[in-house]
Amino acid sequence: MTNLINIITSILFLSVFSFPQGFNVKASGEQTFNFKPGDTNQASFYSTTTLEDVQGLTKELSGTVTFNVKDFSTIHGEVSFPVLSLNTGIEKMVKDLRSDAWLNADKYPVISFKLKKAVNIKQVSDSKIEADVIGDFSLHGVTKEDTAHATITYLDESPMTQQRMPGDLLGVQAKFNINLSDYNIKHLLLGKRVAEKIDISVNLVGSNK
Amino acid sequence: MNKHQKITLLIGLGIIILVFIVWFSYGGELFTKTQVLIEKKDELFGTTYKEWQNKFIWGLDYTLYITGATVFLCGILFLIFRKKKAIQ
Repeated sequence: MTNLINIITSILFLSVFSFPQGFNVKASGEQTFNFKPGDTNQASFYSTTTLEDVQGLTKELSGTVTFNVKDFSTIHGEVSFPVLSLNTGIEKMVKDLRSDAWLNADKYPVISFKLKKAVNIKQVSDSKIEADVIGDFSLHGVTKEDTAHATITYLDESPMTQQRMPGDLLGVQAKFNINLSDYNIKHLLLGKRVAEKIDISVNLVGSNK
Repeated sequence: MNKHQKITLLIGLGIIILVFIVWFSYGGELFTKTQVLIEKKDELFGTTYKEWQNKFIWGLDYTLYITGATVFLCGILFLIFRKKKAIQ
């Protein structure tokens, strides 16, 4: 009897974790989504210190992702933005951010995240999943593997989505954090104005047409 | 300290106190900001995204610049008025 329970448990475990997880939508097969710079394609960062909280934003986020609709773990692609597009709302800080002492925009003009795969995929609904997306984050000339927790929504083309743009739409909200020292950013000039740990949020809406 | 010097001192102190009151009323921010982030809702996806809104936030840096300038000007006036007294 114990053996039977063990077998049933194993089958249930395998059925949950071994089958590919993806979207239950009209589309099938491999789909490629393009993200163009705009209001809803943005990356923001947040730093909190005892002195002050600092927020920055870019709306120049662009890129491409490809995945099998029924198996989201197959996701790959790249999103990036130019360092010069980062704005903090504090003019002096924007200049400092672009300088040699910080992000060195002249030498390292682009910040990018190269997506490699997705793990811990959880189906929230037919068109929405949560997953940990693993990729290589490149900043200040250093590339390091990082994991972003993402919520992804797939919308089949409809009169409502067509008002935004043609084709099926993919909405992505992702969050992860980095340590500046991992990317050789020592932030000496700004002192304690910016924290060592930076929270990064990404918001993307793209179309497959 | 003559009458003119007292008036200079009072005006200087008044300006400095006023500048700090203005700074405090703007939320006591460390750095002057020209834009702030506000959240907007994406109705299609039910998510939120951020938008810059032009808004001037008076920071401690401006407060200190004006305080420094006031101290400098009042100091000069204070010395000028002392000399006038010596001539008289």
